[in-house]
Amino acid sequence: MKKWLSLFLISILVVGLLAACSKKENTTKDGGEDSEKEWTGTITVWDGPRWPDDKDNKFHWMESKIKEFEAAHEGVKVDLVQVPWAELPDKLGVSIAGQSWPDVAPVDISGSAVSIDHIEQGVIESVDDLFTEDELKDFYENALDAYTFDGKLYGVPNSLTVHAMLLNLDLFEERGVEPPANGEWTWDEFFAAAEKLTFDRDNDGKTDVYGFSTYILPGYYEAWPFFYINGGSPLNEDMSKFTFTEPEAVEAIQQLADLKLKHNVAPETLGGQDVGGTFQAWANEEQRTVAMQPWATWAISSAQTKYPTNFAVANYPTGKSGEPVTIGGVGGWTMFHQEDEGKKEMVGEFIKFISTTDEQFTMATEYGIFPARKSAADMDPYKDNPEMKRAQEMSSQVVMLPRHPEWKKIDEAIQTELQLVFNGEKTAEEAMKAAEKKVNELLGE
Amino acid sequence: MKPVHQTANAVVQTKKPTIWLQMKKNYSAYLFLLPKLILFIAFIAIPVVWAFIISFQEYKIFGSEWAGLDNYIKVFKSDAFYDALGNTFLFTVVTVPFNVISALIIASLIHPLGKLSQSFFRGAFYLPTVTSMVIVAMVWRWMYNYDFGLFNYVLGWFGIEPLNWLGQSSSALWALIIMQCLIPFGVGIILYLASMGSISNTLYEAATIDGANSFQKWYRITLPLLKPSTLYLVLLSTIGSFQVFTQIIMMTGGGPGTATETLVHLIYKTGFRDFEFGFAAAQSVVLFFIILLFSIIQFRLLRYDD
Repeated sequence: MKKWLSLFLISILVVGLLAACSKKENTTKDGGEDSEKEWTGTITVWDGPRWPDDKDNKFHWMESKIKEFEAAHEGVKVDLVQVPWAELPDKLGVSIAGQSWPDVAPVDISGSAVSIDHIEQGVIESVDDLFTEDELKDFYENALDAYTFDGKLYGVPNSLTVHAMLLNLDLFEERGVEPPANGEWTWDEFFAAAEKLTFDRDNDGKTDVYGFSTYILPGYYEAWPFFYINGGSPLNEDMSKFTFTEPEAVEAIQQLADLKLKHNVAPETLGGQDVGGTFQAWANEEQRTVAMQPWATWAISSAQTKYPTNFAVANYPTGKSGEPVTIGGVGGWTMFHQEDEGKKEMVGEFIKFISTTDEQFTMATEYGIFPARKSAADMDPYKDNPEMKRAQEMSSQVVMLPRHPEWKKIDEAIQTELQLVFNGEKTAEEAMKAAEKKVNELLGE
Repeated sequence: MKPVHQTANAVVQTKKPTIWLQMKKNYSAYLFLLPKLILFIAFIAIPVVWAFIISFQEYKIFGSEWAGLDNYIKVFKSDAFYDALGNTFLFTVVTVPFNVISALIIASLIHPLGKLSQSFFRGAFYLPTVTSMVIVAMVWRWMYNYDFGLFNYVLGWFGIEPLNWLGQSSSALWALIIMQCLIPFGVGIILYLASMGSISNTLYEAATIDGANSFQKWYRITLPLLKPSTLYLVLLSTIGSFQVFTQIIMMTGGGPGTATETLVHLIYKTGFRDFEFGFAAAQSVVLFFIILLFSIIQFRLLRYDD
């Protein structure tokens, strides 16, 4: 009897386990039978933390949008998955591998989280049908370009970002250095400022403040505009050849590394991999050991709120080409593969709902990014924010990174060699020669 | 003399029951094992077999293509793989002996202590084992910080210039090795202590009568009898070292250059950054055979049944 009882209990346990492992019924596919009827079900949206409300909730904007959308579409539920920005690419990568992607995520198609390869494999849905041609005219062309592949639109841009030089004006004042007029300067002027801003405050024989610093890490491009200032670029126009080996690029890379290696106007950590530590050295009131650093526009917002700093925004210095250059990025919403046409329409509706002119204006004023819609920019979101206004002016200087399907690997091949230039183990010429071999192999694939 | 057929019967009667007979006899025990077996099959066996299959495919999200040995050829032609293998090998050959020997020495020092002191030291040395490696790596990253890290602060006392521990190819991997060596091998210490406790006192008493000193007793009695534990710990530690990952992703990202790139970090990047799951699976299978080879060598060298 005991044996039968144990057999019965074990069977229940096994059946329970199997049931738990079995595929949960997909509530998102329960579209209405009547094609006229609006689709009902669950939409999954991923988002990262944005600006906080008075309860320090950094997801309040998306939560309020979801509430409004659910109220307007009976039977539609939107699940928000909160993902820290730093974890988003990895988490999304794992989800894509497991075919358990969200319906909507705030990613671009440049390769950091999703890439052209995903588009080719059908993981990303085209959103061509979402807007009419007239509606699309409201978006900046470069913003649409960033989400366009093979003539189709694969996402709705909601923001533009640029990298800019951030100058600590207190340190400039302390050393009697004039910040560049209108934020425009040449390499020589920048170098002269960096020299003056490097000083030993307490006369103990050790440098307390350095003129400049930045970091080098795959996927991050704060230092890269410096490599373009003499006219260099990583790949040639048709992306068939690696061109950071050209003298104009090699010279630019070496002169930036020499700020530390030769001229001692940058700390030992220049070209390191510590993103947070680099920012803290510029922004944290207890440190402020670096006077000038290049950052993406989020840092402007951070320096105005979390780390209140007396600062100015300037261009990257110009080099032999004479033209100011910066690297920009485009953010937006991407729709992932949909099986159900009804659901696809509803997900598209949701993306449109959070990408309106008003929402982009709110995002610009509160979150420190530039709107991708001209109509939102026309509302002048930075009339009370001269630093953001200055950074927005730099949009015209933007060069985009090459859109190559193997860009992630190309980027790593270049950046790991750049690290060796900045720690003095290789010259720029040696490093770029080493990178050339790897990159050209990738370009040939 | 017994007739031949009687002897044959006796042989049949003493023959061991077959596996099926044994399973039939103990079916309730096997049924109790079944839930765990199902979990093992679902979450370990199937993924392992699947990874092996994927290693022969060009993995695509909607329908993979058969690639034969292409992924394996790519592994053996890849400079990045050899760089990672070299770094992982160096990491392993330094940290494994250091960890196991230090665990043995620490356990030998704790063992003669009183119960209370033993418990205290057991807890103290085991604590890092239950602490997340992410936290440990963050603390060590601070200790290696160029500007205000503990190590450069201490070097400053002796008038030595600060080192860019994690920023130079020459020191970055060694910095990670030092970290791994200085984190107490808690599992090893606990296991050695347990094994030492199970060695019969009569052996030590006999050695004392024979005039053996403390070191001779440790070297001639304790050490040989700890051989099974040593084998287990060497294997465990080797597998762990070959799979080093958290420190890398938290502290160096494999850089500068490829100075701290390790096999598992490379596999992770290949799979989840480059989405080349077939290639990543082939790298994993090669890693599996490398670990297997090391395990066989260690079994041969440290086996205790002879």
